[in-house]
Amino acid sequence: MPRSRKPPAVQFIAPDSYPQMLSKPRAARALHTLRTPETAAKAQAAMEAAMPAMRAAILQYVQEMEQAQGDTTKLFDAAHEIRGFAETAGMITTGRIAEVLCRYMDDLMRFNHPLDATIVTLHVAAIARAARAEDDSVRTGQAVASELAALVAKRLSEVEQG
Amino acid sequence: MSGPGFENLKALIVEDNGHMRALLRALLNSVGIKDIAEAGNGQTAIETLRERKSDLVLSDLAMKPMDGLELTRYLRNHDHSPNPFVPIIMISGHTEKYRVEAARDAGVTEFLAKPITAHNLFARIAEIVERPRAFVRCDSYFGPDRRRHQNDDYTGPWRRKDDYQDAEVR
Repeated sequence: MPRSRKPPAVQFIAPDSYPQMLSKPRAARALHTLRTPETAAKAQAAMEAAMPAMRAAILQYVQEMEQAQGDTTKLFDAAHEIRGFAETAGMITTGRIAEVLCRYMDDLMRFNHPLDATIVTLHVAAIARAARAEDDSVRTGQAVASELAALVAKRLSEVEQG
Repeated sequence: MSGPGFENLKALIVEDNGHMRALLRALLNSVGIKDIAEAGNGQTAIETLRERKSDLVLSDLAMKPMDGLELTRYLRNHDHSPNPFVPIIMISGHTEKYRVEAARDAGVTEFLAKPITAHNLFARIAEIVERPRAFVRCDSYFGPDRRRHQNDDYTGPWRRKDDYQDAEVR
């Protein structure tokens, strides 16, 4: 097939031609370290040690979200933080509902479309309830997360179709 | 297997959330990386990098006043960049396709979606160590090769779908 213009000028710099993070012998040892059971155990212990502080922080963000009162930026920032590490803190349902809210807000704000206050309020209430529940894995919480995700998917589809 | 692996490595964590910084530090510690600097946004990260070499950068995406994308562009392209080739792992809860593509086009080495797990973080680090990528320099981009899969049999200069665009409309 004929081409109408010159190919783009591209320079490839091979990995051997620029400084690597680790020399080859060190790289082999580092890879070994990454894959040992001892490393996995240390990492797991680190995650578990961080959880109480992370859970406390999530509750703080929940409070900020509840107090945002129409301040979309504040609300989005708090929801984004919750989405970012609720699941890491073991608060699976909380993280999933925050994920849905963030996706909803992000999509609508990107297209300068107004947010539906009811959808936002439902999510904030559900996130707060899930975060404060003693047992995060309760079935009702997961059912609420699924229903809200379906609601947001339907609403976004309506918005996309104009 | 003995001798240092990660032990002498210097890392920089760029993240505005203190809890996330602490978690990342603890995870890096667990593989033997001890020399870790921290910065709360892209701007302070650049200042830190000017004073202290880093072999690996873990950066959040959304930060103020300078986010992870601007930081990446600076490190890859700026005349005063301390290390244009430094591996950058972008960590973000913003996993929408357009944001991931923006990170890729800014020149990140790896993208790690939150929630973070040790397994996923270590997999990204392993990828950097095991399969370092070629860098590409062209008019509009400098950074790791954005194509993950190479066709070893192909030797021509045309590599993209839109390279054919002009020919197809004729």
